[in-house]
Amino acid sequence: MPRPGFVLEVDERTPPLLFHFGEGVRLERLPIGSRVLYPSEPFPGIADVDAAIEHALEHPEGSEPLRALLKPGMKLTIAFDDISLPLPQMRTPDIRGRVMEHVLEAAARAGVDDVHLVAALSLHRRMTPAELRRAVGERVFRSFYPDSLYNHDAEDRDNLTLIGTTEHGEEVELSTRAADSDLIVYVNINLVAMDGGHKSVSVGLGSYRSVKHHHNVRTMMHSRSYMDPPSSALHSSCDRMGRLLAESGVKIFTIETTLNNDAFGGSIAWLQKREWEWSIKDQASYLATKRFTDAAPAHVKRKVFSRFAAPYGLTGVHAGETEAVHAKTIANVHRQQLVEIDGQADVLVAGLPSIGPYNVNSIMNPILVTCEGLGYFFNMYRGKPLVREGGVMIMFHPVANEFHQVHHPSYVDFFEEVLSETRDPAAIESKFEQQYATDPWYVHLYRNSYAYHGVHPFYMWYWAAHAMDHLGDVIFVGADRATVSRLGFRAASTLGDALDMAAETVGTSPRVTAMKCPPLLLADVR
Amino acid sequence: MKPAGRTRLRADVKTVARAWRWGHRPLVPRSVEPPAAEHRDFPTAWARTETGKLAREALQRFALAPLLAAETRPKVHGLDVFEHLRGPAIFVANHSSHLDAPFVLTSLPREWARRTATGAAADYFFDVWWRAAATALVFNAFPVERSSRKRSNGSRANGSRANGSRANGSSRATALARELIAEGWSILMFPEGTRSRDGWVRPFKPGAARLAIEHDLPVVPIAIRGSYQSMPRGKGWPAKGRLPVSVRFAHAVRPAPGEDVTAFNDRIRTALAAALDEDRTTWWDARRRAARGDTPDAGGPDAAGWRRRWESSRPMPVKPRAFRT
Repeated sequence: MPRPGFVLEVDERTPPLLFHFGEGVRLERLPIGSRVLYPSEPFPGIADVDAAIEHALEHPEGSEPLRALLKPGMKLTIAFDDISLPLPQMRTPDIRGRVMEHVLEAAARAGVDDVHLVAALSLHRRMTPAELRRAVGERVFRSFYPDSLYNHDAEDRDNLTLIGTTEHGEEVELSTRAADSDLIVYVNINLVAMDGGHKSVSVGLGSYRSVKHHHNVRTMMHSRSYMDPPSSALHSSCDRMGRLLAESGVKIFTIETTLNNDAFGGSIAWLQKREWEWSIKDQASYLATKRFTDAAPAHVKRKVFSRFAAPYGLTGVHAGETEAVHAKTIANVHRQQLVEIDGQADVLVAGLPSIGPYNVNSIMNPILVTCEGLGYFFNMYRGKPLVREGGVMIMFHPVANEFHQVHHPSYVDFFEEVLSETRDPAAIESKFEQQYATDPWYVHLYRNSYAYHGVHPFYMWYWAAHAMDHLGDVIFVGADRATVSRLGFRAASTLGDALDMAAETVGTSPRVTAMKCPPLLLADVR
Repeated sequence: MKPAGRTRLRADVKTVARAWRWGHRPLVPRSVEPPAAEHRDFPTAWARTETGKLAREALQRFALAPLLAAETRPKVHGLDVFEHLRGPAIFVANHSSHLDAPFVLTSLPREWARRTATGAAADYFFDVWWRAAATALVFNAFPVERSSRKRSNGSRANGSRANGSRANGSSRATALARELIAEGWSILMFPEGTRSRDGWVRPFKPGAARLAIEHDLPVVPIAIRGSYQSMPRGKGWPAKGRLPVSVRFAHAVRPAPGEDVTAFNDRIRTALAAALDEDRTTWWDARRRAARGDTPDAGGPDAAGWRRRWESSRPMPVKPRAFRT
């Protein structure tokens, strides 16, 4: 039985704790009395994955079995989550490919000829052929690529269909292929509570026209947090869109999978061990890793770390009607990730890793660091934020002024042009968003290269809007001062300096809470 | 300029070596310490067999006592208190150094030393087998749970650390002490519970007083001076220069009929304070002060921490060689 997540109270016996620091790691001593949230140990994975998938397809929630929905001559579209999930990438075979093989097996038996497989990437960058092959598996890739296995194109005006408008005036625009299909089968990986549900199809196969109704400052400010769907305006909007799709006759069969917390395996398994349980080998591994990350150039470190695929275990697979499936999925995610904690802190401390949803096989640029810290880590709560209003968030990350020129072209301009003028999310939204979203060069790069959509850096900034509004100060330890200054935050050399700086905002005896993440956890703040 | 977050190999190794206490037992944060129920009591009965007694006596007489004499200048006073004492008894000493137990055990008359068991902190001396075995053999030690520490454990978040386990550990240790007394063993206890951090006497825990009342035993206060100067907390070997250490036995105090544990505990502490006063001054001066109720508080002056440490670390005077007895 895995040990549950818990709250450590730092005392004089506590060794320094490990924090991620971009492509590196560091040991930090927290003040005595600080509390540290540790995630649960990985739940055991399902032993017979194929049997579990087969069972889910045969006994779906609120729907007929998949085989009963498949008819000869029908149009079948299988959509799947893109490369932003899971993090880190999982060891092959990827669960998406395994699920798809079962779906395709059923489709072949039913005599379905017209099958398309679409990476539901919304406004994310396209997946490369190698990335597609990794996600769907060799057999599926060889059978369908490139004609019937491809990336969704949210800027292909000829292949987008306006489904309708919700009662809140939200336009729902979808890929024409998906809208015209007799059945959409959506294959998801639900890594965090934010993923899945109605968000999968309406966002994944939608367009800017559709997505902008919930990816905006107002919605994000009212999503508290977006990791807690019942309290999230983002999810309410997606739910309205999903219900509109259902009323319009778009038939969706949702298959959602959940993974355990086994994010680091093999020679880096020590990264998820509790520090006081480190063996001599773990201590030696830390020293070796520290040496390597201190000495190696960033691109070498990225290459090495990208090779460590996670040995995730499957903790659940559910299929059928979207909402019924998603309720079970969220329960599974909560079972693995929820950690209870009493009360808010004055200071929240977190170490940011090198990888986030939008820089897989890429560079985590300063905008993505902001999103990772103030968007994802800050919002990893249910109930109320881990840090009180007006509190301080301290993060470990070098925040280098480095961008991937192919993947993030609009990010470069956002950093140089937009942030040099204002950092206010609302002002940025009203003044710059349209310009970037419709810029022909960004649209061209999104459609034909491997670039994120021109509007994507804006969404990253909005993702952090709630945290920026809530926090009194944001301090990055070990960061590039000029870059952090451009972002509107402050840099400190050490944690001690950062706490001294935080004292200006929260006083000299703050309550400090730290998050040990990844592996992922969701704080249930009482 | 050195890039952010980078450190030298030597500094990293030093950090890890210190944090994970290379060469020492690893520590676990209290809030995540496994429940005490998971600890198994280290068996100590073997150390009280005839073979154990012989081995201990040999170790104390031919290894421990010469070593103490080589590294310090021990002086024992008040052995006359044993003339009228009948065992078993409870020996109670102030505690500021790992030298205290060795000094007491090597200072006791041989027939008393043979029949004395020592209460030792279970979480410190009985955490790993080799330390437990050595402590049990050399000091005839038995594990004592430090109950206040136990109560400090427990994570509010997962609620898995039950306080009850602490109480169980403490009651197990008391039960063992009762068994030993019933078998005729005297008990050496340090009622402060842990070594003093500043050399002055900490408040007494009531365990010794309770045992004495329950079994109607005499309690012999033992005043130890100089061990803090020689080897305080954090030191692993006596300081150079053979510093003087004094062990002074005081007359036994007995629980009065109907006396409660707190009152008797206070009386034991006062008797020990008087013995310390006598060791610092003279028997006559100390007696007069005791009669007036002016015995200086063994807890030290009410002053800043550094002043307390400064005062208690003041070297004890060494008589010139010509006047040594």
